Amino acid sequence: MRSRFDEQLNILNTEMIEMGALCEEAIALASKALTTGDVALAENVSVISADIDHKERDIEARCMKLLLQQQPVARDLRQISAALKMITDMERIGDQAEDIAEIITYLEGRTAEETVHIRDMAAETISMVTDSVDAYVKKDTELAKAVIVHDDKVDEYFDRIKGSLIKMIAETPENGEYALDLLMIAKYFERIGDHATNIAEWVIFSVTGEHKNS
Amino acid sequence: MTSKIFRSIFATSLVVLLATLAIITTFLYDYFTNIQINQLKDELSIASVGTEQSGKEYLEDLKSDNFRLTWVDSDGTVLFDSQADKATMDNHLDREEIAEAFETGKGSSSRHSATLTEKTLYEAALLADGTVLRISVNRLSGLTLLLGMMTPVIIVIIIAVIISAVLAHKMSKRIIEPLNKLDLDNPTENDAYEEIAPLLRRIHKQNMKIERKAAELNRRKDEFELITKNMREGLVLLDKNRNILTINSAATIILGTDEKCVGNEFLTINRRHEITSAIEKALTDGHAEIRVKLVEKEYQFDISRIETDGETVGAVILVFDITEQADAERLRREFTANVSHELKTPLQTITGSAELMENGLVKQEDMPRFVSHIREEATRLVTLVEDIIRLSQLDEQTELPKENVSLYEIANEACGVLRDSADKKDIALTVSGDGGNICGVKHLLFEVIYNLCDNGIKYTPDGGKVEVNIAETEKDVTLTVSDNGIGIAPQHHARIFERFYRVDKSHSKKSGGTGLGLSIVKHSVQYHGGKISIQSEENEGTVITVFLPKDE
Repeated sequence: MRSRFDEQLNILNTEMIEMGALCEEAIALASKALTTGDVALAENVSVISADIDHKERDIEARCMKLLLQQQPVARDLRQISAALKMITDMERIGDQAEDIAEIITYLEGRTAEETVHIRDMAAETISMVTDSVDAYVKKDTELAKAVIVHDDKVDEYFDRIKGSLIKMIAETPENGEYALDLLMIAKYFERIGDHATNIAEWVIFSVTGEHKNS
Repeated sequence: MTSKIFRSIFATSLVVLLATLAIITTFLYDYFTNIQINQLKDELSIASVGTEQSGKEYLEDLKSDNFRLTWVDSDGTVLFDSQADKATMDNHLDREEIAEAFETGKGSSSRHSATLTEKTLYEAALLADGTVLRISVNRLSGLTLLLGMMTPVIIVIIIAVIISAVLAHKMSKRIIEPLNKLDLDNPTENDAYEEIAPLLRRIHKQNMKIERKAAELNRRKDEFELITKNMREGLVLLDKNRNILTINSAATIILGTDEKCVGNEFLTINRRHEITSAIEKALTDGHAEIRVKLVEKEYQFDISRIETDGETVGAVILVFDITEQADAERLRREFTANVSHELKTPLQTITGSAELMENGLVKQEDMPRFVSHIREEATRLVTLVEDIIRLSQLDEQTELPKENVSLYEIANEACGVLRDSADKKDIALTVSGDGGNICGVKHLLFEVIYNLCDNGIKYTPDGGKVEVNIAETEKDVTLTVSDNGIGIAPQHHARIFERFYRVDKSHSKKSGGTGLGLSIVKHSVQYHGGKISIQSEENEGTVITVFLPKDE
């Protein structure tokens, strides 16, 4: 019985990693589309986002089944409940990557200018998502804590980008729409950073049983 | 073992007990019945005589508690009964023993009472007057007897259980002890039971076999580990559930993990979609190949399915570092593209000019200009082809004769050739330093200095200066060519030695040159085992230093 349960937990773990990998891929693709202005790339993001949604439902069903059939306790229960919370954040990351991709299609091939630090912000966010998934894979609370700290950096980038976009609108008012689109993208990246932080917090919870907000 | 022995002992004693009981009971019961019947018969014959002589009075006098007498008339009516009132008794003609007595003179039977607890024995005899006298006695039935013996039997059974348990415990202990003390590592050295000697010999043989196999396996494992450890390629073995079975050190470095990942899923060490889907493809189709960039380096993943008896048991992943190969491929592609472009441009000018002349579209006075165009471009082509030949010679790495040469002299020679073009641009071309004696290939070293100075002159505005300095240290000879020209931005430094690479992307022909000069310099210096360093900023001149080792 136990071995079957372990097997099920393993499958859950694998699926979580797969979902995490999909999130990384979605946001990496969105960021690449942003740097190259390649609309075709941006359209691929929605395909991945659909995969992520699908995966979320799969994992949710699996977690429910495990909770009902095995009635897990202690560490196993934490792992499953943390998984249930994490997939919500992962799904949101997928959605936001899709939103970014959608805005990129409105930019009509314009890419993020280097003076606006949106590329750096994207890179930072990607590394946050990667680290949070890594922390889950390795059950590494130190890495998870690093991710939480890292979020401040992304927030800082957002403020900086906001500042330079205000300047851009003031200097070249005809760029107003473009600047606003970039601001939206930056906001989405900032949100993705927050979701990565949430994931990291749940990783810590599943390992130690303590959640930051409790 | 104990319980088994207990069961055997208990069962045996129980069976013996019950069998004895049954046999004895049956025998004794039959024996006493016979005695009783004989007694009854005797009594009956005495009573018959008495009754025949004195009738009812005799019977009434003969009151006895031991048996019951019944006198029955020939029509079945009871004339007398010693224990019951004759009036209440019904006709006895149908009773078995009485009927028999009327017929044959003597009758006997036995009947169980309604409750089966008692058995009544009857004997009857026909008297001379035609009546029948019957005598009967009650006795307990066999069943009642048995029931009565129940208590002692149960006590005996309980005693048997206790004795069996104690005996079983002791016996099993005695039997088991030598078995428990068997030394299975050295089975032949035991002297327990003779009966298990063959088993022990067998175990001994098996032990030896296992030891040999284990040694063999260990040796193979060591061999395998030694081989995989020293492989430069990464090697990962997966089972069919994508769990890692083996990973060699090269693979741990490439994938950025450690040996602890063995047993986990491959997904936990790398979750790149390309790789996981390639593994999936290999497991279904048998083979997959992908190129993946991991941390600045390009790797090729060759994944093959492992099958035994047509069943998938896992996959083997081989990882090659193809960074250099990929770079070389890119360079070759660029070179081919560049060389065709560079060769085509002058040829197009030549054919264009020649066509115009052929069709008589060129005025007589323009003729010399066109002809010189053709000549210039042809010369360019020749230089280009010469450069390419030189480079390919250097690529071939053919052994060229080395001699003792003085760099200073070569530098003077090269500058002598370039003096004219330097003068044209009013550039001061100077050579300083001394000696610089090394063992090398003269014309290659000449090319180095010539090309560096030529570049210096080309990329220095009119009135500038180009300085060549030769210096010696303990180990090397340093050749420094510096100018105060337009300089090179740092991001180009790494690439200017590539074939046909130009800082100015427009491939401007203004400055001339083939784009191969620095490439030739690089190869020539490499041929001598030297190094080149460059120091330059845009608009701040360029200093190129060549270090050539003295002793070779």
